[in-house]
Amino acid sequence: MKIYILKRVIIAGVTLLGMSMLIFVLMRLAPGNITDIIFESAGYVDEADRHRLEAELGIDKPVAIQYLNWLGDFVRGDLGKSYRYELPAWDVIKPRLPVTLELAVLALGFSVLLGVPTGVISAVRRGRPVDYALRVFSLAGLSMPSFWLGMIVILLLVRSLGWIPSMTYVSPFDNLGANLFQFLLPALAVGYRSSALIMRITRSTMLEVLREDYIRTAWAKGQRSTQVVWRHAFKNASLPVITLIGIEFAFLIGGLIVTETVFNLPGVARYLVDAIQGRDYPIVQNLAMLIAVVVVTANLVVDLLYTWLDPRIKYGQA
Amino acid sequence: MVRFRPLWPLAAVTALIAVPLLPLAASAQTPKYGGVLVTAPLSAAPSLSPHEESTVAVVQQASPCFNNLVYYDPAKKQESGDTIIPELAEKWSWQDNHRNLVFLLRRDVKWHDGKPFTSQDVKYTFDLVRGSPDAKGRLRVNPRKLWYENVEGIEAPDPHTVVFRLKKPQPSLLLMLASGYSPVYPAHVPLPEFKNKCIGTGPFKLKENKPGEYVEYVKNPDYFVKGRPYLDGLKFVVIRDRSTQIAAVQSGQLDVAGTGWNRANAEDAKKGAPKLVVVEADSNVNDNVLINFKKAPFTDRRVRQAINLAMDRKGYLIGPRQGAATFGGALLPKPAGVWGLPAAEVSRLAGMGDPAKQKAEARKLLAEAGFGANNPLKFTLSTRALPIYVDTASWMVDQLQQVGIEATLEQIETGVWHPKMTRLEYQVALNLTGVGIDDPDAQLFENYRCGSQRNFSGYCSEEIDRLMLEQSQTLDRAKRLALVNDIDRKLQADGARPVLGWGKQHWVMWPHVKGWAVHENSIYNVSRRQDVWMAK
Repeated sequence: MKIYILKRVIIAGVTLLGMSMLIFVLMRLAPGNITDIIFESAGYVDEADRHRLEAELGIDKPVAIQYLNWLGDFVRGDLGKSYRYELPAWDVIKPRLPVTLELAVLALGFSVLLGVPTGVISAVRRGRPVDYALRVFSLAGLSMPSFWLGMIVILLLVRSLGWIPSMTYVSPFDNLGANLFQFLLPALAVGYRSSALIMRITRSTMLEVLREDYIRTAWAKGQRSTQVVWRHAFKNASLPVITLIGIEFAFLIGGLIVTETVFNLPGVARYLVDAIQGRDYPIVQNLAMLIAVVVVTANLVVDLLYTWLDPRIKYGQA
Repeated sequence: MVRFRPLWPLAAVTALIAVPLLPLAASAQTPKYGGVLVTAPLSAAPSLSPHEESTVAVVQQASPCFNNLVYYDPAKKQESGDTIIPELAEKWSWQDNHRNLVFLLRRDVKWHDGKPFTSQDVKYTFDLVRGSPDAKGRLRVNPRKLWYENVEGIEAPDPHTVVFRLKKPQPSLLLMLASGYSPVYPAHVPLPEFKNKCIGTGPFKLKENKPGEYVEYVKNPDYFVKGRPYLDGLKFVVIRDRSTQIAAVQSGQLDVAGTGWNRANAEDAKKGAPKLVVVEADSNVNDNVLINFKKAPFTDRRVRQAINLAMDRKGYLIGPRQGAATFGGALLPKPAGVWGLPAAEVSRLAGMGDPAKQKAEARKLLAEAGFGANNPLKFTLSTRALPIYVDTASWMVDQLQQVGIEATLEQIETGVWHPKMTRLEYQVALNLTGVGIDDPDAQLFENYRCGSQRNFSGYCSEEIDRLMLEQSQTLDRAKRLALVNDIDRKLQADGARPVLGWGKQHWVMWPHVKGWAVHENSIYNVSRRQDVWMAK
């Protein structure tokens, strides 16, 4: 087990190194740099001033040197300074992490609470009206982009109640009720799509498991249906579901750009797009790396959960 | 059978024009103190340093913090030399045949950090902006250095007097100093601090700036204008999505919205919340066609004229501008503008006549230049990847096709738009230009003078440059107007940066918002907001 974890950590490290190179190179391939952006907001370009600025920001050095400097700083925990705001990058990133984390956790919580039971019910009641109804419900969730659903919800709210969630972020430490109220709608909009995905995977794996001999045996033994379904069937059907939840969590950390924009939440994804447009290299590189770390860690945690869920899986053995 | 057109569009337009009068009528009420007004700016402010930026987003969000020496009277809709009011300067006078501009400063002004305001602050600020070798600092970028190139020196003979010494007479200097882009900075605060903070003398003090999220101000209790501001605070909440902005104003989370909105946005907002007041006004932002003078075949005047003639201006008004634009030459036309060509001349400009005839003429010119059905003129039409640009550029592609020109639309990412234009890395482009003040010295020198950094078409005419200087030094306003009109005519004849039209601005606000001034010939010089109050 220890060897397995060590291997996974090494692979994670190599993955992150590859990611760092990819992020760095891609940013440099985009046309223009931060000095272009600074002059863009000034509405003109003075080439002499531009070169002076490039030297000031250190982006006149060879790309390899820039990369090594950044990587060294990142490993040491020094995230550098935002070019645009001239603030420490961590000071800019830090307040945005809880926003995205809260949205991701709430959305995922909602999607699991909705997706798993409906998936199980749909499988158990296969071919019955409830199954068809739940499948239509899930298909609708997959068909509707969460930002579109969010926009529709906002429009309906403003038309019917003359009310929409707060346009400025309310911290849970300032007002927990208002904070939850603010996150409820985006979490539901995002969670609905994820729940649909979870529901469909749960249903299909449950259908496979429910056909197994040991389930038939359990029914034959006269066990209660809840015990058969949840203890015997669902536990064995849950591996792909857990994998999916891990993937979804990773996606939610960096993929909620439009939802954050529609609900005006100052999260990581929206800010990442702003930073890319502003060629704010330190912010983009460090934020993308943080997201990569979350994705790699989420995958690692999911893999480790497998051993707990299915004792037959023994890592590190031939 | 005779069919009647539905009357509701006419009624809607009438209401739109009539409704602006409502807030003016209401402003006769006794102002109330208190309340925090919430609005949405055009976008997040890249900094709170107007001297280093050229976007209205910064002027909107930084102006409540600062003061100028002089400012345009918010209550007068048209900005001109006659509507300039004192701010940090109590009085001013031209001396030595308009070679010296002398300001006597107020003695009761303090910076937000409690330090006294003196003439050294004024000298410091404008030495910075004009890039003087004696300046005690250097602006990171300096977009309006050109405005002050005629300033020979700035003297501060005592703490309450400042003298701007000019190389040649230039009456427009006072107008430039009145712009929202010309606030006075404190000499004792390091320049980089204005990236995220603001120490000014203005009616509002910065409470919190969360870059990309909001900028929040509180009332400055020591403001030198007694009884102002009326509001306890002012908050600019950045809302990127237009639909969310509309929903936010409808729900009452925003008191005022509308920067960057078009007529359809304003009508949408009002449809959902009929009590909202819509204000439509002219603006000094124009859609213009950049034709690269340095690249063949655009060096051929016939080709430039053909492109200009192909653009049916009435189609532009109905199409991309949704009925909200006015036509003119290089300067904003009357009645909103001060220096534009007379209406009779505007109606004769290229693109203003019968579309079929104009297009036939365009085809003829193209044929003379060697282009026809077998050898069509092909080029890339570049534009900024923003809807307000792309809509008009797409319409242009269709117009050009009608005269046999095969144009391919290229959307350029907004971050590299100006660098590409500055380097003339395009053939033909659709651009939007807003000028800080409605004045020939700003508009002509920036956009048409040989070698100017913002002369994105590469146009260069020694004659025009000479006339520009002449008008700049002309003290008699009527003579100057005649000269400016003459320049404008020549620019139109040369096909130098043809203007498709001047867009309108739209504001949407709740009836309780009073004193929210809107100027018709500039969007940049009316954001102090010290006279705004809320009747609730």
